[in-house]
Amino acid sequence: MEVLLWDGTLSSHDFHVAARAFTENWKQFNPTLPPWIWVPSRLSEQGYLSLEKICIVGSSKEHEQKDVDEEEPEPVDNATLVETSSPQVCYYDFHILYSDSYRVPVLYFRAYCIDGQPLAWDEIEKVLPACSAKVLLESKWTFITQEEHPHLNRPWYKLHPCGTSEWMKLLFLGDESLAKKGVAFEQYLVSWLSVVGQVVGLRIPFEMLNHHKSCN
Amino acid sequence: MSTTESPTAAKKVVIHLRATGDAPILKQAKFKIPGTDKFAKVIEFLRRQLHRDTLFVYVNSAFSPNPDELVIDLYNNFGFDGKLVVNYACSMAWG
Repeated sequence: MEVLLWDGTLSSHDFHVAARAFTENWKQFNPTLPPWIWVPSRLSEQGYLSLEKICIVGSSKEHEQKDVDEEEPEPVDNATLVETSSPQVCYYDFHILYSDSYRVPVLYFRAYCIDGQPLAWDEIEKVLPACSAKVLLESKWTFITQEEHPHLNRPWYKLHPCGTSEWMKLLFLGDESLAKKGVAFEQYLVSWLSVVGQVVGLRIPFEMLNHHKSCN
Repeated sequence: MSTTESPTAAKKVVIHLRATGDAPILKQAKFKIPGTDKFAKVIEFLRRQLHRDTLFVYVNSAFSPNPDELVIDLYNNFGFDGKLVVNYACSMAWG
């Protein structure tokens, strides 16, 4: 399909193809991280991608600021009890589901402490990267919400997919060599996660993108 | 410990800003930035120029870099012709 005519969505079949390519690609370039696994659904032909128990160290914005503003040391008030002096370590479970209504992948996630205690929303907000905290403030109800996980019937956090097809189209149009070849669904999930991963602090190694290039 | 003081560490990278979608074209579409700066600096520059808080920023290879990535790393992976092309759009919609 030509990128110019493409609306940024993919079919459930393409999602499956993309998921297979993505799990292999991830395994190759993230050997120290847990793998993404395809979980078949008991209810339908559709399954979902799952990455569980991945440890993400909480946002290090305080540390970064210290690096930049070295000449202006912050006043230290010894009388104040500072509870969160070091970034909080927490674990995430990420699931990527296919949305039939939006025809795009959707990220579901939950977070918990090292002892398995789930994190409440206000605690998750504290460990999210600075940029997503900002977006959250601006569009609180349309960004991340708690919803029932369609396969597990438990409350999970969900990133809203309404804008996804729009920015996926932009991403693919931005690359001339990609645009010429037509829509490469094998690369869909890497590109998608480069955007969505920023919200939760999940980084994509560059090799995952270059790998795709060299494959073609 | 080996001393691998790379000469590229202090290298400046030419950023070429390219408007997409409904984004306005900037008067100053090219600028130089130290490679040791984070990509967040580029995003910050765009935000100030466009007076927008939420922007969608991406490079080629259909990749949107994390703001914590270093500009030199992005240039080495996605740059060509001596510059790093950074696309931006204003219509970033999450919901």
